[in-house]
Amino acid sequence: MSILDTVRRANRPGPPEHSVALRVACAGAVITGIAACRAEGELTWTVAGGATVLVAVGMFVSYRTRERPLPWIKPILAAAAVGAFIWFFEQLTGQVVYDVNTVENPLAVLFVWVQVAHAYDVPARRDLAFSLAGSTSLMAVAAAQAIDLGFGLYVVAWIAFGLVGLVAMWGSASEGGRLRAQGIAATLGVVAAISVVVLAVLPAPQVAGRIDYPARSAGGLDLPVPGGLAGDGGAASEPAKPGSPDGRSRVGGFLGFANRLDTALRGSLGSQVVMRVRAQRPSYWIGETFDDWDGVAWKANRNGRPLFAGSPFPVPGGAPVGAQPDLQTFYIAQPSPNLVFHADTAREVWFPARDLIFSDDSTIVSPIGLGPGAIYTVQSDVDTPTPAELRAANPDEGLLPSTRSKYLELPHPYPHVTALAVSITAHAPSAYDKVQALIAWIARHTRYSTDIPPLGPGQDTVDEFLFGNREGFCEQISTSMAVMLRSIGIPAREAVGYVPGPYNPITDLYEVEAKDAHAWVQVWFPGYGWQSFDPTASVPLANPTPGVTLLHDVAHALARLPWVAVAAVVAVAAVAMGALRWLRRRPRSWAEQVARRIERAGRAAGRRRLPQETLAEYASVLDRVAGDRSGTWRALADMAEASAYGGRHPTPETGRRALRSIPALRAATRRGARGGGPDGGPGPTAGASAPADAVGR
Amino acid sequence: MSPTAGRHAPAGAVRGGTRVPRPVRPFIPLLSSVTVLGAWALVAHNGGAGWVQAVGDIVAGTLLVGLVGPAAVVWRARLRVVDSPTDATAGMPVELLCAATTRVGVRPLEPSGPEAFVGPGRHTAADARATVTLLPGGRGVHHEVVAAVSSAAPFGLLWWTRRIVVRLPVALHVGPRLGAPLSLPPRPDDVGGSSTRRATTDVGEPRGVRPYHPGDNRRRVHWPATAHAAELMVREMEGPTAEPVTVTVRLPGDPAAAERLAERALGTVVALTDAGTPVVLDTVEAGGVRVAQVAGRRAAGRRLARTVDGHTRSEGVTVTPAPRARTAGRVEGATR
Repeated sequence: MSILDTVRRANRPGPPEHSVALRVACAGAVITGIAACRAEGELTWTVAGGATVLVAVGMFVSYRTRERPLPWIKPILAAAAVGAFIWFFEQLTGQVVYDVNTVENPLAVLFVWVQVAHAYDVPARRDLAFSLAGSTSLMAVAAAQAIDLGFGLYVVAWIAFGLVGLVAMWGSASEGGRLRAQGIAATLGVVAAISVVVLAVLPAPQVAGRIDYPARSAGGLDLPVPGGLAGDGGAASEPAKPGSPDGRSRVGGFLGFANRLDTALRGSLGSQVVMRVRAQRPSYWIGETFDDWDGVAWKANRNGRPLFAGSPFPVPGGAPVGAQPDLQTFYIAQPSPNLVFHADTAREVWFPARDLIFSDDSTIVSPIGLGPGAIYTVQSDVDTPTPAELRAANPDEGLLPSTRSKYLELPHPYPHVTALAVSITAHAPSAYDKVQALIAWIARHTRYSTDIPPLGPGQDTVDEFLFGNREGFCEQISTSMAVMLRSIGIPAREAVGYVPGPYNPITDLYEVEAKDAHAWVQVWFPGYGWQSFDPTASVPLANPTPGVTLLHDVAHALARLPWVAVAAVVAVAAVAMGALRWLRRRPRSWAEQVARRIERAGRAAGRRRLPQETLAEYASVLDRVAGDRSGTWRALADMAEASAYGGRHPTPETGRRALRSIPALRAATRRGARGGGPDGGPGPTAGASAPADAVGR
Repeated sequence: MSPTAGRHAPAGAVRGGTRVPRPVRPFIPLLSSVTVLGAWALVAHNGGAGWVQAVGDIVAGTLLVGLVGPAAVVWRARLRVVDSPTDATAGMPVELLCAATTRVGVRPLEPSGPEAFVGPGRHTAADARATVTLLPGGRGVHHEVVAAVSSAAPFGLLWWTRRIVVRLPVALHVGPRLGAPLSLPPRPDDVGGSSTRRATTDVGEPRGVRPYHPGDNRRRVHWPATAHAAELMVREMEGPTAEPVTVTVRLPGDPAAAERLAERALGTVVALTDAGTPVVLDTVEAGGVRVAQVAGRRAAGRRLARTVDGHTRSEGVTVTPAPRARTAGRVEGATR
């Protein structure tokens, strides 16, 4: 066979497909893919709605013309597909491909139009299989933009359509084959198990593609105070007061992210997701730093300089030695402070604004408000020097004297704090060892609590924490450490931002909640810059793998399940299923009842009814087993057969009496089977006779 | 391969069958799946989107089940022949009633036949049976059928097949086609009787009644005549008027030639028996030469089905007068 013949044979149209279930499932899978793309913002409502209608119409037309496909439709569809490709390449021409909208949105539109064109020419099973496979591409494009678990609804719907379609495909290919309920359950179970195993063993996705530096504005308005930190009302921030669980303070500013960090404030933050972060590794995402401590609050003396470079913004400053690149994309979920959070040290920022305000202390301020839907990307150079390298560094070097004095300044002498710090670090030879000694002492001698008494007037936060109750949260703990470091001549500052938050292995995003706002200490090491130390809690910074995280999450979820309620639901479901089963198997007629009881009695006596035996024959056998010469079982069987096949039904009273006589008969039969035998066996007990007015006798 | 009389599979062996399922034309499905998954893995790994990886894992699981699952289905499928005929003719379809534990395609290989689907389906019960048709190409005796069972469950992505040997409930004797008979000498006419116009009758039809002779079959007693004649009377059956002949069949080694000769032999036997001539068939079977009278086409077909070929020096079909003694014994295929 020549190559041309092989190609012709491969492209030969298949037999028409008559299965409606397969067509509906394929259409459903494609439409679900379209809906998923629409939900992720890759299609407009017009395109999505129009494509849905056209796909449905196309599938219907294909079904009606499956026996004789329209000959002129293929050229038209081919021209439409070529036109879609030409449009796609035109969309990309001249675009700077770094924004999500420049590639993935036209790609989604292209896939949709190819599916629409294909829907009009799917007469055979093979064509429908291509449609089903095509819906996979739509789901892939939508999944690339999904950042929360809500996308799972579309995945579930698409899986359902896909599996129904595949099973229907088998049913059509096997001329009526079907999977039983157990087979379907086993198939779903195996697919799920394999999916989980593959998810667990595959390495975590990397954010490495040049194409994926998204930045999107959510309609944030310009803020009136350049470089100022915005309150949620759009004005420059004011000293924050305890506010709502999502961090807003109601009077302006966001709790912890204002021009002042007031450690006297008490409050608790909630679990609302404020942003989601896709990053190559977990980091502390720094928002701003503070250098001026007054005994109660931190203030920032920063000189912000606007940079009008346009996106991407190069961050002034050099890269630390031996730094590793780290790309992070931030998806804002709640109205947020106009700080550009990032892993230290930011190098390049893709931000949807014409300018950004940079400060020397790593603070990056946005000129526009950041609301839900805003996206920006930061390329950072993360430096992780070894302890030996830090031990070798001398904090007295590398900073200008004026700068150094700023980070050693204290509002007043802390004699007790200084004496404590000196005693703790007496045996630490290097600055790094001193830092570690202080962290170890804090871990041993203080306790973490958000429920601490308010600070009285004139009280100093550090004195109260170290020499008072020794209870506090991140602000008290980190401030105390910073003050202790300054008191022994080590430059230190306060940093605020967010810890990574829980990692979602499905979306591959860190879900940062309001309560993940955190304060920690930064210490200057020449050659390595400001290094972060968190004395508050030991947060593991190991790179999580999706599989391990998933297993841990599953185990935690199982442990948190309300087992009593689950057991109750399972019990109720079992009872309901048992009741349904009993209802279905319950004999519908009196004759069926009698027949079942006769068979049950025979089984109890060790004599099952043979397939070729009629009920009357079986009853006669039971009479012999019971030694009943009057043929009581036979009389009952004759009544039942007359009722079932002859339409001669007994009166209700007769029927009831007949049923009531069965237990005694059954006992007699069992006795006969055990000892008597057919001849000479005990006769039926009194009252166990068939009703005298039995119909048909 | 010429039909071999009395083929038997040794106990416990699977002659002609393989226990290992194998895929049918797997290149394109496998290549497509590997390409899709490879492209997906590349995009997911470098796209940084966890949902892409999650959806890709589901696709991978589905493809794996769809490509490998049918092998397990075929491995576990069990096929049995519920009912089969005892006699057939070469080249004519033979229908077997089969049942399977799961829905599979069954294609007979030895003897060959078209594919049919057997097993529970949407419109059939769990123990539903279906007909599988055999098209035996030549004569022979079959105690089992070699078939290929195939399935693509649950998703229809890739078909897997396995050869199995299925025992028939009764041996299937495939006789040769009815060929042209040899040219036979004219039968001498039976001049007995006075009627100038005689209607022909078949051998075995009642002819009249006569008095009982010791040794007559008691079932042939004609009671009305007995009552009328006041002595025991029995029915007299029409007997063959022609002289018995022996049809000697020696088949050549070439299977095609043997088949043609067997067809002529059958045609000759049928022509003779239709004319009322007792026929003694002399054939060579696996156990040796067998000489016995045959009553009709069915018995002759069975004998020829068991005949082996190429075991003698002389070939051909000959018709010779048979000794009376040969015809006095048991007649194969005669009805009582």
